Amino acid sequence: MTSALEAYVREASGSVRDIMAGMLTFTERITVLCFAASYAVAFGVELWHLFQPRPILRIIALVLGGAGLFAHISYLIVNSLIGSSLPLGSPTGSLFLLALILAVFYVGEAIHHAKVAWAMFVLPVVLALIGLGVASHDPQDRVASWQSFWGIAHGTLLLLAAVGVSVGFIASVMYLVQLHRLQEKLAPLESLPNQERLLEMNHRAILWAFPLLTAGLLAGLALQANVGIDWFSIRILSVVGLWVVFAVLLYLRYWVHVRSRQVALWTIFAFVILVLALVSPHSFGQGVGP
Amino acid sequence: MNLLLVGGSFKTLPIELREKLAFDGPKLTTALNELSARFGCESAIVSTCNRVEIYIARAGEEIAPNADLIVEFLSQFHQVPFEQIRGSLYSKINDAAIEHLFRVAASLDSLIVGEGQIAGQVKQAYESAQAAGSAGIVLHAIFQQALSVAKRVRTETGISRGHVSVSSVAVDYVRQVHDHFDDKTILVIGAGKMGALTLKHLRELQPERILVTNRSPEKAIAVARECAGIAVGWDKLDDALVDADIVLSTTGSPEPIMTKDRFDGILARRSRGTMVILDIAVPRDFDPAIHDGDQACLFNVDDLKRIQEQTLQERQQHIKPAEAIVAQEVKRFVHDWRRRKNGPIIARLTQEFDKQAKAVFSDLRAKFNGELSEEQWKYIEGAFKLLQNRLLHGPISALAEEMPEPTKHTLLEAMMKMFRLER
Repeated sequence: MTSALEAYVREASGSVRDIMAGMLTFTERITVLCFAASYAVAFGVELWHLFQPRPILRIIALVLGGAGLFAHISYLIVNSLIGSSLPLGSPTGSLFLLALILAVFYVGEAIHHAKVAWAMFVLPVVLALIGLGVASHDPQDRVASWQSFWGIAHGTLLLLAAVGVSVGFIASVMYLVQLHRLQEKLAPLESLPNQERLLEMNHRAILWAFPLLTAGLLAGLALQANVGIDWFSIRILSVVGLWVVFAVLLYLRYWVHVRSRQVALWTIFAFVILVLALVSPHSFGQGVGP
Repeated sequence: MNLLLVGGSFKTLPIELREKLAFDGPKLTTALNELSARFGCESAIVSTCNRVEIYIARAGEEIAPNADLIVEFLSQFHQVPFEQIRGSLYSKINDAAIEHLFRVAASLDSLIVGEGQIAGQVKQAYESAQAAGSAGIVLHAIFQQALSVAKRVRTETGISRGHVSVSSVAVDYVRQVHDHFDDKTILVIGAGKMGALTLKHLRELQPERILVTNRSPEKAIAVARECAGIAVGWDKLDDALVDADIVLSTTGSPEPIMTKDRFDGILARRSRGTMVILDIAVPRDFDPAIHDGDQACLFNVDDLKRIQEQTLQERQQHIKPAEAIVAQEVKRFVHDWRRRKNGPIIARLTQEFDKQAKAVFSDLRAKFNGELSEEQWKYIEGAFKLLQNRLLHGPISALAEEMPEPTKHTLLEAMMKMFRLER
C-alpha cells in the first residue's frame, strides 16, 4: 500500500504534493479502531443521555459520530481507493462502505431530527457491520471482476440496495420498539419517531432497494459472461434469497395488505440474509489480483 | 442590595383571596406606578392564578420598606381588610427572596411541578415592570437571572418532561402513531363536555376533516358547528369508523357502544393505517380488548391518568437536582452582585495606593536625582508596584470572601473607614 501511496503523491507537484504528503501521513495513521471507537463512544454518550437527558450530550454524541465519520472516510480513501489494500468489492470493503453510508445517514438524521435517538438504533448496526468486516477480513482478498464495467455496476447496485435494506431494517426495529410501547401503553417518547413515519421510512427503503437489487442481480448475470460463476455459492444463494424475500415483502405489503408488524419482521429477515451475502466470499474472480 | 418579597401562593392563600388580590390588566401598571411613587424603589409584580408576589428593591444601602407597608398597600389597593390577608402572606428578604424567585421561575414552587407556563409568566411580570419603568438595576439583574435559571433547570433536568394534563397526554399518544394530519379524519362520538378540551387540542393538529356523531342528531349538529365538522347519523357510526384515523369518544352511554366483535367487522373493512381511539367516557364506550397497538390503539381515561401520574412521579425525581441548580445559581448571583458592589471601592482603594506610591516615588527621585540610572529608577518603581499589590492582595481577597449575611458593620464599611475612602 505504501508504495502505491508514495507513487500517488509523487505524481502531484509542488505545494500540493507537500500538503498531500502531510495529509497522507496523518490519514495513514487512522485505523479501524479510531472510527469504531468514535462510534462506540458516541453510542455510549447517547446511552448516558437516555438516563440523564442533557442537550449537550446529544451534541457530544453527534460530534463524536462526525469525528468517526471523518476517520471512516479517510480510512476508506487511503486503504481502498488510493492504497487498494482493501478492495471495496471484498466482503470487508463492502461491509465498511455500507457502515459508512449508514454513519452518514445517522449524522444527517441526527442533525435534521435532533430529538430522535438515532444513535441508539443506527450506531449498533454500524458497529456490528464494522465488527463483521474485521472478522471476515482476508488480506489476500482481491476481486478482479471489480475492475470491469459489469463488475462495478453489479457491486454498486447491490451496495445501494444494501443501504435500502439497512435503512429498512433500522426503521423496522424502531417500529417494533414503538409498537411494543403502544401495545403496553407506555408513556409517549419524543426520542422515537411515530409509527406512521417509521412505516413510510420502511416502505421507501423497500421500494428503493428492490429495483436496485434486481438491477444488481441482472448486472451479475451479465458479468457471468466474462467470468465463471458458482451458482451454489453462499453469496449467490444469499443475494437470490434476498431478492425472493423482497418480492414476497412487496407482495405482502401491496397485494395482501398484511399488518405492518409482519412487514417489519420480513424486513429484518431480509437484512439478516443481506449480512450473510456480504460476509460470504465472492464466487467469481476469487484470489485474482487486480 | 435590599430586596423584599411579599406575597402569597396557592399554598397560603385560598382561591377567593387570590382572585381578590390578582393584578390583571391595567391594575398591574397602576400598582407598579403607585409602588414606585409611594416607596421610591424598584418594583415588580408576579400575578398568576396561583400566586401574587410583589418584589421591592433598592440598589444602595438604604433598606427596603417594611413588609407590613406592602401588605397595607395590597390591602388598600384591592380593598381587602389588612387582617384578612396579613396572616396568609409570606415575606422574604435578600438571598431568601432571590432563591424564592428562582424557584418560582424554575417551576419548583408550582402546583404542578415542572409546568412550563410559569417561566413565561415571570417573564411577563418582568416585561410589565420594564414597560412601567419600575424595574431598575436590581430587578433587571434578578429577573434576567431567574429566567436563565428556569431555562437551565428545564434543559439540565427532566423536570418538565412529558405532559401532565389528560388532554395533552391523549394528543401525545396520537402523535406517537400519526405523523401528519392533513390527510386524517377525526371522528367525535358523543357530545360530552369532558371531551371539549381534548377536541380543542386535536383541532390544533389541523386534520383534513372532523366527523361528529351522536344519538341525538341535534347535538351532533351543534358540536359539528362548534368544531367546523360534519354531522353524521348515529346509524352510520360503523361507516364513520371505517374512515376515521382518530376517534374521540365521550358518550354518556351506560353500556359500551363498541364490542370487540363489532369492531373486528369494522377493521375488516378498513384499508387505512392504525386507528387511535381516545375513549374518555365513563363508563367506557369501547371494549378494552379492541386495543392491539397495531391496527387499533385504544386509550381510556385510566390509561391517560396513569401516564399523567407517572409523569408527575418522574418529575419528583428531578426536584433535588433542580434545587441544587437553584442553590448554586443563588450563590453565584449573590457572589457576583457583591463583587459588582465592591468593584468601585476596590478601584478607589487601588487608585489611592497608586497616588500615595507615586508621591513617595517622586520625593525619592527628587532627593536622589542624578545618583541612579534610569534603569535603576524603573526597577525601584516596579518594586513599589509589587509592594502595593502584595499589600492590597489580602484586603481585596477578604472583601471577595466576606460572608453575604447582612451584619451591622461590614468589612467593606470597615475598610472604607480604615483607608479613609469616602462614598
